[in-house]
Amino acid sequence: MNTVLDKFAQAAQRPYEHVKAWKQERGVKAVGTLPMHFPAEIIHATGALPVIVQEMPDAITSGGGAMYPFFCGYTRSIVDQVTEDQLGFLDAIMFTDHCVQLLSAADVIRISRPETTIHFHQLIASLRQPWSLESSVKTLRELVADLEEVLGVVVTEEALRHSISVFNENRRLIRDLYQMRRTGQIQLRASQMQHIVKSSMVMDKETHNALLRELIASLKTSTAPRSDEVAIFVSGHLCHAPRPEILDLIEDCGATIVDDDLYTGYRYVSTDVDAGIGDPIVALATAYIRKNDNVPCPTRIDPEVDWEEWLLGAVDRCGAQGLVVLLVKFCEPHYFAYPRIKAAFERNEVPHLMIETEHDGVAMENVRTKVESFVEMIKVQRAARAVAA
Amino acid sequence: MKSHVLGIDFGSTTAKVVILDEDGNTVASCVSQKGAVSDEGVRAALRGAFEQAGIDLSAVVRVVSTGYGRRMLDIADRTITEITCHARGARALVPEARLVIDIGGQDSKVIALDRSGLVARFAMNDRCAAGTGKFLEVLARAVNVELEDMGAEALKAEDTVAITSMCATFAETEVISLLAEGRPKQVILAGVHQSIASRTVGLVGRVGKHDPIVMTGGVAQNIAAVHFLEKALETRLIIPTGAQIAGALGAALFALDDLRSASKVKRDDDDAVEAKLEQLLADPQRCTPACGKKETPVTFKG
Ligand code: SF4
Repeated sequence: MNTVLDKFAQAAQRPYEHVKAWKQERGVKAVGTLPMHFPAEIIHATGALPVIVQEMPDAITSGGGAMYPFFCGYTRSIVDQVTEDQLGFLDAIMFTDHCVQLLSAADVIRISRPETTIHFHQLIASLRQPWSLESSVKTLRELVADLEEVLGVVVTEEALRHSISVFNENRRLIRDLYQMRRTGQIQLRASQMQHIVKSSMVMDKETHNALLRELIASLKTSTAPRSDEVAIFVSGHLCHAPRPEILDLIEDCGATIVDDDLYTGYRYVSTDVDAGIGDPIVALATAYIRKNDNVPCPTRIDPEVDWEEWLLGAVDRCGAQGLVVLLVKFCEPHYFAYPRIKAAFERNEVPHLMIETEHDGVAMENVRTKVESFVEMIKVQRAARAVAA
Repeated sequence: MKSHVLGIDFGSTTAKVVILDEDGNTVASCVSQKGAVSDEGVRAALRGAFEQAGIDLSAVVRVVSTGYGRRMLDIADRTITEITCHARGARALVPEARLVIDIGGQDSKVIALDRSGLVARFAMNDRCAAGTGKFLEVLARAVNVELEDMGAEALKAEDTVAITSMCATFAETEVISLLAEGRPKQVILAGVHQSIASRTVGLVGRVGKHDPIVMTGGVAQNIAAVHFLEKALETRLIIPTGAQIAGALGAALFALDDLRSASKVKRDDDDAVEAKLEQLLADPQRCTPACGKKETPVTFKG
């Protein structure tokens, strides 16, 4: 089992080394995508390896001069990766926009490295309009045509259907792990779950699926009820992974992270593409506009789903006693949503703690004190309720 | 022989120790100022407390540590954060408290308590010394005033000046240029305290203002910090006797809970506490006086 988890950890920790080695071994192209809504099945259907460009922990150097310091760590990091010539192994970067900072980062990349092939398509942000589906289908068809031209290939419906089924299986297997973890059947740390999801973003999906099946078969399952001292739901951190040290710290402070809506977590695998829909592009577009039903995204406009209400339900469903919000510094969509989350949790008297993260690092001791206090607060409140009952 | 419990608040600049007997009477409280997270400070505070209590080391059966250096003490049976301990200690000192403001050497916290006195939510300074005792310490040095005199000096000012830098180091530069401009020290000091107050008000805003408000921690003894904070919050702050030892008192109360929930009979491993205390106190660099500063004994009964 460890060797499989090690493989996931290795790909997650050194994503680009993994991709370069894969390219060399298989002689395939690699196409980068930016999070969070690009349907990577389309790249997979061309035979190229889809790679979600990751935030790297390195200090921001030359890219710092090209971006304002008040941009989120993810966008500053990817610009720095381009200006530091770290993404040259990608044959192209394709993305659909979801926030102003991401768009600006793409512009900066275009201006500072005109030789980079970086193409962008605008998926409709408003998910519940009568024309949302039609608009998304149109965008995805344009995107396919663009990709065909960039890579000089033809994307067949059959190839797309195959890719959809491979991706669906990947999502399902990871969701199975989530479910087993929620119920306490298996014990995987949050940082291990992050490695699993993050590696899926850069590894060949069939290979990843095979490893997931191997992992699931080898995991020891328990029928005993979950025995966590304090169960926690972790939310936030759009576009990129929180540092695994932060997840470990939370769990080292007496909490167990039982569920999440992180992008490098459950958000990434929440929504399958309906293989029963005849036209695969329509199927992909449908999955896009239905995403919010499963995990709401603050970058999308959806009058029918409130993230905060969904979070209250999600915390309850997984049996968590509290919510930890990991808020990326300068992430505007999250900044916009957080006050409502805070208010909803306070109104409903569900404990919650916000931790702001920064690319340049967080004061870990300060975070430790906050998390320990949060766990103590939950324990003391729980004990008081038990006495009162 | 009565059993006793020990609460140790191992702060960034001071160590505080409270000893309670098994009936919850405070038998000793001691503060020692020995600089950054120092073992020597803890030893001094412990010696002072034992001297005050007049008990043997063997009488102590439970130890809880809190504060910045809480995990550095292997004599502790368990560690609890300063947020939880200050809340417990403040509530013990002022039972009606609904909000606790604790400004310590390295961090500042605002803790909202529910009606039954439990922590409902809290906020803490995030990443720099702005609004902490350290901020005052750095700026006292910059204006060449003793830390303990800076509050009284600040209150002599008829005016204030805005100190806009959040970071203690930048604020120091700002203060130096204000001095160079010829601004009076008192006015600058008033600005420094006003700055601390406005940072703290920001934290209060995050958890919500609930009266009555109790202030604990070393900065509670600074009259100008209290004055400007009261002005900014438009309310009176309660500064209990023993404000500085609230965290250690909270820790001792948790130790008392542990003692009461276990049997009062001496356990086999109670000797381990004594042995560890002996070891800690046997350090050759014995410091005198034993206790840096004796707190007015708190008349608290848990
Ligand atoms: S959604 Fe947030 S994290 Fe993602 S690019 Fe925009 S600002 Fe950055």
